[in-house]
Amino acid sequence: MNTGIAHRPVLHSLLAAGAGAVAPHILELPLWIIAVFAIGAAWRYACEAFQWYRPGRFVRLTLMLLILVAVFRQYGTLLGRDPGMALLITLLGLKFLELKTQRDFVVSLFVFYLVILGSFLYSQSLWLGVWALLAVAACTAALMHLMQPAGMDLRRRLRLSGMMIAKALPLMVIVYLLFPRISGTLWGLPADAHSGLTGMSDTMQPGSIRSLSESSEIAFRVSFDGASPPARELYWRGLVLTETDGRGWRRAQPIATDKVSFTPLSAPLSYQVTLEPSDKPWMPALDLPATRPKDARLQSDFTLKHNDPVRERLNYSLSSYTRYRTGAPDRAERAATLRLPRNTSARVRALAEGWRRENDDPLRVAQAALDYFRHDNFVYTLNPPLLGDDPVDEFLFGTRRGFCEHYAAAFVTLMRAAGIPSRVVLGYLGGELNTAGNYLIVRQSDAHAWAEIWTPERGWVRVDPTGAIAPERIELGLDAVRRLEQQGVVLGSLPADAVLHALELGWFEYVGLHARWYWDLTNMAWYRWVVDYGKERQERFLTSLGLDEISWSRLVSLLFAVALVLTLAYALILLRRKKSVDPALAAYLRFCRELARTGLIRAPYEGALDFARRCTQRRPDLKDHVDNITGRYLRCRYSGHDSAEELRLLKREVSAFRT
Amino acid sequence: MSAVPAPGDVVLGRRQLFMLPTRFGLIFALLLVVQLLTAINYGNGLAYALTFLLGSLAVVSMLYTHRNLLRLRLSAGACAPVFAGEIAVFRAHLANDDSTPRFGVAVLHDKKEIASVDIAAHDSTDVEIPVTTSRRGYLAMPPVTLTTRFPLGLLYSWSRRIGLGQSCLVYPRPAEPVPRQTREDQTPEPAQGMKAGGDDYIGVREFRPGDSPRHVDWKAVARGETWRVKQFGGGYQATLWLDWDTLEGLGAEERLSVLTRWVLEAERDGMLYGLRLPEISFPPANGEQHQHECLRALALFGLKP
Repeated sequence: MNTGIAHRPVLHSLLAAGAGAVAPHILELPLWIIAVFAIGAAWRYACEAFQWYRPGRFVRLTLMLLILVAVFRQYGTLLGRDPGMALLITLLGLKFLELKTQRDFVVSLFVFYLVILGSFLYSQSLWLGVWALLAVAACTAALMHLMQPAGMDLRRRLRLSGMMIAKALPLMVIVYLLFPRISGTLWGLPADAHSGLTGMSDTMQPGSIRSLSESSEIAFRVSFDGASPPARELYWRGLVLTETDGRGWRRAQPIATDKVSFTPLSAPLSYQVTLEPSDKPWMPALDLPATRPKDARLQSDFTLKHNDPVRERLNYSLSSYTRYRTGAPDRAERAATLRLPRNTSARVRALAEGWRRENDDPLRVAQAALDYFRHDNFVYTLNPPLLGDDPVDEFLFGTRRGFCEHYAAAFVTLMRAAGIPSRVVLGYLGGELNTAGNYLIVRQSDAHAWAEIWTPERGWVRVDPTGAIAPERIELGLDAVRRLEQQGVVLGSLPADAVLHALELGWFEYVGLHARWYWDLTNMAWYRWVVDYGKERQERFLTSLGLDEISWSRLVSLLFAVALVLTLAYALILLRRKKSVDPALAAYLRFCRELARTGLIRAPYEGALDFARRCTQRRPDLKDHVDNITGRYLRCRYSGHDSAEELRLLKREVSAFRT
Repeated sequence: MSAVPAPGDVVLGRRQLFMLPTRFGLIFALLLVVQLLTAINYGNGLAYALTFLLGSLAVVSMLYTHRNLLRLRLSAGACAPVFAGEIAVFRAHLANDDSTPRFGVAVLHDKKEIASVDIAAHDSTDVEIPVTTSRRGYLAMPPVTLTTRFPLGLLYSWSRRIGLGQSCLVYPRPAEPVPRQTREDQTPEPAQGMKAGGDDYIGVREFRPGDSPRHVDWKAVARGETWRVKQFGGGYQATLWLDWDTLEGLGAEERLSVLTRWVLEAERDGMLYGLRLPEISFPPANGEQHQHECLRALALFGLKP
């Protein structure tokens, strides 16, 4: 096997396969690593094509050491996902210079398969899956080329490798679905396995939600068991911020409690959330959640917290009540939700105290604050001016232009100044209803901040100051606000039907939107069956097949049995003798069978013309038909030129022929 | 190109074919294990999918490997007789009666690969199998084995050893030239006089006017020599009996060798020669067929039929 092989044609195949395998890594690894691979490949190509200098053993060894050092300097280690992939790819580049025997080529190809697998550790997108399939086809065709350097041309190799993959795919699906999954890992993952996740941070600085609103990344998806509630009720509670230094807002330490301590006033809403990984433990839930999913705690501020940061897509079922009455906060909580930073300016305090003197009811005080926002030239904008050290004061008396976080922070500050327990709630508002799959898509850009005040009659009451100034944000979502702003509409100024008219989609946008929805639906299916197909999903799938509680060993036997049946079916198809009967002959034989019923049996030695002559002697009444069909048959078979029309007529006449 | 095998043809069936992974196949299996462990450790769906895809690909390639040899039809071609010590060339005829082409079919003889061929759909090809001969008589065609690694080189399929029932006639090794001994009463004599106008070249004579220009020895003319005319004669100059009994004192094999040499020389010299062996004799004649009959008799002398 260690024979040298014709290098140049095979090298082309190998280069194509290598390019396919390494390409996805361009997005993830430092560019010099890809460059080393490309240079190695190009160098070897030049050696074959232009008889360039080909480095000897010593040079190659030196280059290898240099690569090791470079990778080590890049990562500080040679172990782990990134350095591992970097080493694999750079050394493959170097290997190009060494390729000599068939074995060298084959080993390179096998490592390409490994490199393809490596790209999945960075992303499991649908596109990457499709790309990888093409790369596998290229590698397989290259392997074929190595084994049959002369006999098969490129088209034949590609076709055969495509056909083999097409046959392998159903087999793969069976093994994929049934191969027992474990939860957790075998050895633990390297430290760099999760990085680059976006999510809501647990503090709120001026501008933090604003920056999130730029991201169209999906935060989570929700499908309701019944109809989804109206947009103004879709307040997704993320976390509650109580402590403030006047500028930023932080969480207080809430108490984990698994007892629901509120009185529901409406029917429960049941829904499933698919939460994208955020590297944060917050689990958004519709205001207010009454149940807790597995591995999560329900906290005293009615938020859900996962036991670990969410690093994989999470699926949970919840039920919530949109109308409720909560109990009273305990003493510590009450104190915390009244505490104002010392630097709160006098005019802020004076403003709030004025309202408080006029109204006894906390809700009326809140209403006064909302009226203040509505009537004193406050503007809701996606591009607020930057604020200095005392943002609340500056916002209330200076800029008066702000985003939800400004309104929420200012409102809560005012309420506390008025002696009403209040806090900021961070979460998401609304979402885009994907009518294609009837579920709600909530993006990072739907991040929202609102306020809660405590009243003795109703407990914690949600107040959204943004709604006072920009009801469009609540009713129509951030995307609508953005589009209205682009059209120069002042928020809150137009009547409802004019707003809806301004938001009407052109046909182009309409098609784009639906395409986007179907694409998201496709992605959901991809997540369900590929990316998130772990132990839990598999159990659910097996249950749907009626195979719940199946043991590990029986699952493996089932897997082998089904795979075996499919393989045998393939064997039957692939290994059977292919009979290729000419369609014209088939039609003629049908004609002969029809004649045979009248006793006119064609002898084995009898030609078509002789038989026709004999037939017309015995049955002159059939002469026209027999002559016609025989003539067409002979022209189809022997005239040489393409006779599709003739064949069609022949078939028709044979079908019509009755003795 | 008939799909019905003629008697003596061997069509490779399922039971004649075997399969094992190659060394590359084992490395590939190792690769799959590494991939599976990675997939399990990262809980990575696509990694699982790729691992199982490659595994399935190997299983599917098994069918293709098997199909590459299945239903190949082997038959033996003719084998020209040779003299002992020469190389007999057997021909294996490989026919593909299917509509799928076969690639990289290797023919093994004595565990050595002789040839690797591709056979197009409904096509056939010949593979020559050279075998060194040592003894006179019939040499049976050695069994051959067909193998293939098609398409991915992960699996190795081979057939059982196939004997095609063909054999090659091996004439005795001609002895070193020995002066021809003939029995005294059978001194070679001209049986007939010279008869000009035949096909065999018998000599030259002086040019006489009227001679056909086609028979002029132009090469000699070009050298400046006198004009001569080539003479052709159809008659045989001599009748010769090559007799086993004249070689007394020699062993049987040596006698056969010497007689073989004489047959070759007599044929070369255009003589009429007869061969007399203890149990069989061939009356004097000449020509390839006669030579072959004589040589075959020598080759098979004393051997069981």
